[in-house]
Amino acid sequence: MKFDDRKRSNEAEVESAAARNERPNLQDPNVVLSLLEADQVVATKTRTRFGKRNLSVGVRWLLWSLRVYVFVMLVIVLISVIRAVHPGH
Amino acid sequence: MAHPKDNQPASPYSPAQPTTEPAVTSSVARELVGLLTHEDRDRARDRWRVARARWKGRSWRSFGGLRLLWLLIGPGVLVFLGENDAPSMLSYSATGARFGVGFFIPFVILTFVMGLIVQEMTVRLGAVTHRGHAELIFDRFGKFWGFFSMGDLVLGNFLTLVTEFIGIRAGLGFFGIRPSVAVGAALILVLGAITTGRYWTWERITLGLAIFNGLFIPAALLAHPAWSQVGHALLTWTPLPHGDNSEILLLILADIGATVTPWMIFFQQSAVVDKGMQPRDIPAGRLDTVLGTLLASTFAIAAILATVPLFHHGINAADFQGAQFAQALEPWIGHVGASLFALGIFEAGIVAAIAISTSSAYAFGEVFGTAHSLNRPFREAWPFYVFLLGSACAAAILVLIPHAPLEFIILTVNVIAVLAMPPALAFLLLLVNDRDLMGEHANGFWGNFAGVTVTFLLVCAGLGFGLFTVFPKLLGG
Repeated sequence: MKFDDRKRSNEAEVESAAARNERPNLQDPNVVLSLLEADQVVATKTRTRFGKRNLSVGVRWLLWSLRVYVFVMLVIVLISVIRAVHPGH
Repeated sequence: MAHPKDNQPASPYSPAQPTTEPAVTSSVARELVGLLTHEDRDRARDRWRVARARWKGRSWRSFGGLRLLWLLIGPGVLVFLGENDAPSMLSYSATGARFGVGFFIPFVILTFVMGLIVQEMTVRLGAVTHRGHAELIFDRFGKFWGFFSMGDLVLGNFLTLVTEFIGIRAGLGFFGIRPSVAVGAALILVLGAITTGRYWTWERITLGLAIFNGLFIPAALLAHPAWSQVGHALLTWTPLPHGDNSEILLLILADIGATVTPWMIFFQQSAVVDKGMQPRDIPAGRLDTVLGTLLASTFAIAAILATVPLFHHGINAADFQGAQFAQALEPWIGHVGASLFALGIFEAGIVAAIAISTSSAYAFGEVFGTAHSLNRPFREAWPFYVFLLGSACAAAILVLIPHAPLEFIILTVNVIAVLAMPPALAFLLLLVNDRDLMGEHANGFWGNFAGVTVTFLLVCAGLGFGLFTVFPKLLGG
């Protein structure tokens, strides 16, 4: 069975059970797994990581320039606050 | 979209790619059976209710569509009403008191549109990857950039939390309640919301509190606004503000910072994940975010209109805090109106304190790999809850310390939010354009155009602030 077919059949199964007004037995692991996507299960998430992406020169340049921007701006905020708290300076 | 998990061994830290494959049909389903947690079961229960509402929604007569919306709204409304926090409402109030009805009314709406553009991307990221924002930054950009990003978030969140408790103290101070009692009551509310051990219950409690942000509407109506002037301002963006240009620039920056901040990105994405939203819920997530934007912008404008009488009577509100605004407004909007205003500031503080401390705790859990869900009981996720409560308690204690630099914190918090936003937006845009993560849900041309425009405007606002701080004479200051 192709992935999309399996997905559709599972959705139809879940929705038809819901339509029959059956209360799900959440102690049954298969019921829980049929309601969640594979990526949503905590055990899957703790065992898998998205790999680090390759940062191009352009992306590195962007991130560094924004980092410098924040640093400079924080110094400026400090100047601004000192002026506001001590108007004489 | 590829689904590489199909033939993938379940070794520790294997590479992941998002998939919409149901867990029960996955290749590792058998292994997962023995590893399910309380969090998984609670999330499955929420998904079952959504599936049932979706089934019923096929028949218009059953109101199933409304039921589905009721089940799926939450993160978007909460994030925007949470961002209508104490310093934000005070910024809007200062704007109304200083400049009356004019340019700032449509400007505030524009800032909310900017917020909507940003937050919609977090809905897609959360629903597709099922990972929080901090986790994605660490995974895709590595620890170096991850810790920089976390530094911005932790500093901004802590300072903002402090201002929430200042708002709580000031709001209840109007009723003669002692600061220690006000702050203690707020901490009990934060604790009460998280002791349910269920995301759904926490979300409904917080939404119930957040709707009281609407208290600013009766306060505004009691100020008898000139609706024709409001309509004129909305259409023409006039009258333009006059006076001290540096003060105007500071208010522009504060009003932007009142709507677009880094914690919102981290919070909404984590809340979407904790709610268990899936890619097919994205349209409902968008609707939730639009609803939040509409509610929050309406309440923000109400705060501006409520304080317009101070502008007409020439009262200088530059250094006012919550209770002082309410006291100054009493002669014009009456005791009831002033009480509503003070309660509104209290509510703004408490909802934001809950949302921001939760945002910090989510990020902490994502970065350090500990359990981080409101669906977990305390014994399973105690570091998450301890961090959440600890950050709230630390902010509350700081507010109670005599001679603490509260003025310093209030002055800086919204400005820091604006300045920290461009790097946060850069990470957001890079992630939402990452086709390995997002597949068909990656940003299109218009999404990127809007995102880049918002980033550009924020950088310009920050640079303008910097320029006129270093060279005040440029603005005749």
